Amino acid sequence: MATYSLANERLRALEDIEREIGAILQNAGTVILELSKEKTNERLLDRQAAAFTASVQHVEAELSSQIRYLTQVATGQPHEGSSYSSRKDCQMALKRVDYARLKLSDVARTCEQMLEN
Amino acid sequence: MAQQRALPQSKETLLQSYNKRLKDDIKSIMDNFTEIIKTAKIEDETQVSRATQGEQDNYEMHVRAANIVRAGESLMKLVSDLKQFLILNDFPSVNEAIDQRNQQLRALQEECDRKLIGLRDEVSIDLYELEEEYYSSSSSLCEANDLPLCEAYWRLDLDTDSTDGLSAPLLASPEPSAGPLQAAAPAHSHAGGPGPTEHA
Repeated sequence: MATYSLANERLRALEDIEREIGAILQNAGTVILELSKEKTNERLLDRQAAAFTASVQHVEAELSSQIRYLTQVATGQPHEGSSYSSRKDCQMALKRVDYARLKLSDVARTCEQMLEN
Repeated sequence: MAQQRALPQSKETLLQSYNKRLKDDIKSIMDNFTEIIKTAKIEDETQVSRATQGEQDNYEMHVRAANIVRAGESLMKLVSDLKQFLILNDFPSVNEAIDQRNQQLRALQEECDRKLIGLRDEVSIDLYELEEEYYSSSSSLCEANDLPLCEAYWRLDLDTDSTDGLSAPLLASPEPSAGPLQAAAPAHSHAGGPGPTEHA
């Protein structure tokens, strides 16, 4: 179930960074390809080079901030919390519902048998 | 105010290594890219012939491009390691995730129990009518060895061959009108419980 908010925000930020790294390599390739042409489109060249530089700086800043956050937050101890108890309670509630449904179907079957007889 | 806690050596070393990897990879990408751009500049012929210089530049650009790609892949691996570290060690978000999960499961459990209690109330009304119909029907006979209604119901499953099973003796209460009430009262006492209604 992907409804965790805070954890997902940081993970989503890291996934955005991954996409941006791909974009960095794409931009670098476009710049070099453009340079290899005889007639270079200077505006495209400048735009791509600026995008490349901005992306690299952005990726560096984002990753540095993530590492800084982890330095503040990490304790080195394993997390020992769990949702086992509430999961068990919910499981028992679902078992109660199943049992009630089973018994109701028995009663319905018995009523039908009585009616047939 | 964030106090610097004494992290275990391994965690501190790990985070420092992440920083180092980040700096190295970014530096590698930038340096190799700028060197490729510089190498692309066409210069006058020097001691080396233009063809040889061209070959050398070609090889150098290939190597630098491969370095850029390697640094990019190393960055991706770093991001993957950071994600793993975050999932395992980011206690605030792990706590919040656990709390959210507990809330969802508790809400589902309360919903189930609420529906069961509503069902119990509805079924007890229908059971009352069924029992009234059963006791007032011509097949209901009062005998000394009459069984309670629930016993007669269970006997149907056990005595399938016996013809008396179908016309099983009924509740031995002298007042038939008290029968449905007696059956309904334990049903109300078993609030939401899984067990069937049992007569004393």
